[in-house]
Amino acid sequence: MEIQELNALSPLRAFDESLDGGLGKGNLGVLVSRHGIGKTACLVHLATDKLFRNEHIIHVSFSGNVEHVINWYKEVFRQISENRSLADAASIYNEILANRVVMNFSQENVSIEKVLSSLETLIRQGSFNADAVMFDGYKLTVATEDDVRKIKQFAMDMRLEVWFSVSPVRSDVQFDENGVPSTILRYEQLIDVLIGLKYNEAMDKVIMTLVKHGESMDPKPMHVNLNPKTMLISE
Amino acid sequence: MSEITKMRNIGISAHIDSGKTTLSERILFYSNRIHAIHEVRGKDGVGATMDSMELERERGITIASAATNVTWKDYSINVIDTPGHVDFTIEVERSLRVLDGAVLVLCSVAGVQSQSITVDRQMKRYRVPRIAFINKCDRTGANPVRVKNQLIEKLGLNAVLMQIPIGLEDHLEGVVDLITMKAIYFDGPSGEILRYAEIPEELKAEADAKREEMLDAISLSSDELMEAILEERVTEDIIHRAVRKGTIALELVPVFMGSAYKNKGIQPLLDAVVGYLPNPTEVTNTALDLDDEERVVVLKSDENLPAVILGFKLEDGQYGQLTYIRIYQGKLKKGDELINTRSRKKFRVGRLVRMHSNAMEDINEAVCGDIAALFGVDCASGDTFCHPSLNYSLTSMYVPKPVISLALSPADKKSADNMAKALNRFTKEDPTFNTYVDAESNQTIIQGMGELHLEVYVERMRREYKAIVETDKPEVAYREAISQRADFNYTHRKQTGGSGQFARIAGYIEPLEETEEVKEYEFVNLIKGGVIPTDYIPSCDKGFQLAIKKGTQLGFPIVGVRAVINDGAYHAVDSSDQAFQTAALAAFRETYDRAKPVILEPIMKVVVEGPTEFQGNIFGSINQRRGIIISSTEDGLACMVEAEVPLSEMFGYSTVLRSLTQGKAEFTMELAKYSRVPTSISEELKKNYLEKRRQEQGK
Repeated sequence: MEIQELNALSPLRAFDESLDGGLGKGNLGVLVSRHGIGKTACLVHLATDKLFRNEHIIHVSFSGNVEHVINWYKEVFRQISENRSLADAASIYNEILANRVVMNFSQENVSIEKVLSSLETLIRQGSFNADAVMFDGYKLTVATEDDVRKIKQFAMDMRLEVWFSVSPVRSDVQFDENGVPSTILRYEQLIDVLIGLKYNEAMDKVIMTLVKHGESMDPKPMHVNLNPKTMLISE
Repeated sequence: MSEITKMRNIGISAHIDSGKTTLSERILFYSNRIHAIHEVRGKDGVGATMDSMELERERGITIASAATNVTWKDYSINVIDTPGHVDFTIEVERSLRVLDGAVLVLCSVAGVQSQSITVDRQMKRYRVPRIAFINKCDRTGANPVRVKNQLIEKLGLNAVLMQIPIGLEDHLEGVVDLITMKAIYFDGPSGEILRYAEIPEELKAEADAKREEMLDAISLSSDELMEAILEERVTEDIIHRAVRKGTIALELVPVFMGSAYKNKGIQPLLDAVVGYLPNPTEVTNTALDLDDEERVVVLKSDENLPAVILGFKLEDGQYGQLTYIRIYQGKLKKGDELINTRSRKKFRVGRLVRMHSNAMEDINEAVCGDIAALFGVDCASGDTFCHPSLNYSLTSMYVPKPVISLALSPADKKSADNMAKALNRFTKEDPTFNTYVDAESNQTIIQGMGELHLEVYVERMRREYKAIVETDKPEVAYREAISQRADFNYTHRKQTGGSGQFARIAGYIEPLEETEEVKEYEFVNLIKGGVIPTDYIPSCDKGFQLAIKKGTQLGFPIVGVRAVINDGAYHAVDSSDQAFQTAALAAFRETYDRAKPVILEPIMKVVVEGPTEFQGNIFGSINQRRGIIISSTEDGLACMVEAEVPLSEMFGYSTVLRSLTQGKAEFTMELAKYSRVPTSISEELKKNYLEKRRQEQGK
């Protein structure tokens, strides 16, 4: 299969459709769930889809282990390209790699100013025209409102999409029926898209619910879900 | 001679400046010291103490040889020197093969640095069990816990603290052993007297907590310990066994600490070396059977089997060439006959020696697991010596191709002679270092794995061989490749008196699929019905192989090509091997241009490390060099940037980086892959190549 066809058939098209065409630049999107549901895979799938469409991605991680993140991308790419028998997969992989930078902050409690300034350094001095930034494991639930406001401003100034994968830090947090922890609701007004992930045992699927979209606060099930085996988004 | 379970072959690997030399010296000092004390006591029953003169002398010892044998308690430890820089990858990898375990030395202030990461990657590849030693705990800013966490986060190791420090920086007094739950102090003028005491009151709570952590981590790789914890009957022996098991299985990296400079923590580290690192029988070693298509065979640490030996390092001594060897199987006696499986030469073992820190000991035999040295054997580094009944090779015959070349011109006749001697020597020592005389320019060309790699050899020529040579600008070793399929149908015919030549071949050439491993060439025979007789098929293969040796674009080898033949014709009288070889060569040359040839260049994996304030400059410098930033990691004030940059853009980078970062950043690089050169640049390269050829023809 050629890459154009692969992109057209991607389940991410249904994902974008649920969002009326995607998150859009200058906006913040949040994937939220309990630990171990597959948010990182989901985030990497979103990023890989953008890479397939020639966009530039910065993946921000806080784990300290870059290798780990890079392996996630390798694995997601491998699964997609094998499922669709992508032609010339190895050279496409090398090509899209040039459009992805992993930025890693291993110091505990690094300030958001520091993160944003490093991102800006990469974009400006490294001449890396990022289309989207993926924050993997940012502790959004304990961030201050001011922090989130700064990220939003950054997204608008730099004209890029910002996605977060978020799990609550505290163990006593309450989750609603869509898998959304109460602690995230503090910044709801700053978040443009909020998606809750929750495992449904009967279906053996991770259900994705569009909890917030623009001004609408009416939770709607999305046309896609997460396959717990492959950890990929599927229709 | 010690029994094999009491042997340890270890390497000490470290980042520059983390105190590897001091630590090595201390290891020699304490091990010899213990040995000496032991001997003196045996004779007259009186313990010896050191006087300061003796201490000074002993301290002067450094590991000058590739392998040094020391004795700790009744264990025989071979300490193998591992070169630090990644430009010498093959040397590092060869020494990693020889060792069964390693001590990873880290600075308690700087922590895990780029070179530690490179070395760690190599150790993972060779599955070398390791223990870590956090050195320089007496330095300002020492933080062993932070370094332990970096081992976990940056290297993905299951690092477990086995000790906690008693005081840090100026107040470093000793360590608390979390297994025995005793404080250890290092008394005497050079820390040689160990004093065990109760844990200081203020450290008790922390020691308890860290012991819990340690037991938790270790019990994951030992059911025995897990059960013992549940049943509350944990003994020191059970913990030791569990740590040993976990370390050898690569599930665990026990972490020790101290200060080599201040003589603290070395003896417990040596105990850990013998206690937790494997003996030669606990490591699986394999060889390739050259008589059986390089089938992998497992070697057994059994001295009654035929001998298999690796010559891993050559050294020029005052008595001639010394070859360091490791015996993997069987044993070796003076007078034994061995065969070098690379050169197929047989030889007899003359002098066999073992190297100690300060002396060389003649020995009559050495057994599997051991490291020794041979005198006067004509061989290259990395050669395998076997009992004549075997034909094994311990190292793969695959040697990475050099990526860079440099033209040399000796200053005078004497320098020219010396240069020749030096080059002869270096090529023996290092298979990644090549040399040849360019037929067109008549210059001596050296080739290697990086700018520094070649610089070091040029410097060695000056120093060790008194050869004064001028060097040109280094040149990148490009490759050529085809980008699409092209068909051919070629007839070779010659009728000029005598017997004629006739051969027709048809088929196509096409690019090989891009895979992780770069394949250079593949030949496919689809001839049916004998239109080309089977006897002539290998000649076609040979013809293509000849053709890809030198491409027409830049004169570099052509890689990643598949040649397929599917039709042809022959003549009962006029066809010959030579005719088909010529036909294949000509067919390829004629087709090459239609297959849209491209130029490939070596891409280096570059790791730059420095203070975060210079991150922008680092990004900028990579971007200017057509580099791709793969990742950047920030940890407080330090950042590390990983990138892929074409080698041709990396010349002189060390100078640029130094000036961009006030000398505070450093970088390492190694070959990552070959990639296509952008059109604008390849046009320029082709123009220069044509220009150069025209000039040479004009001469």
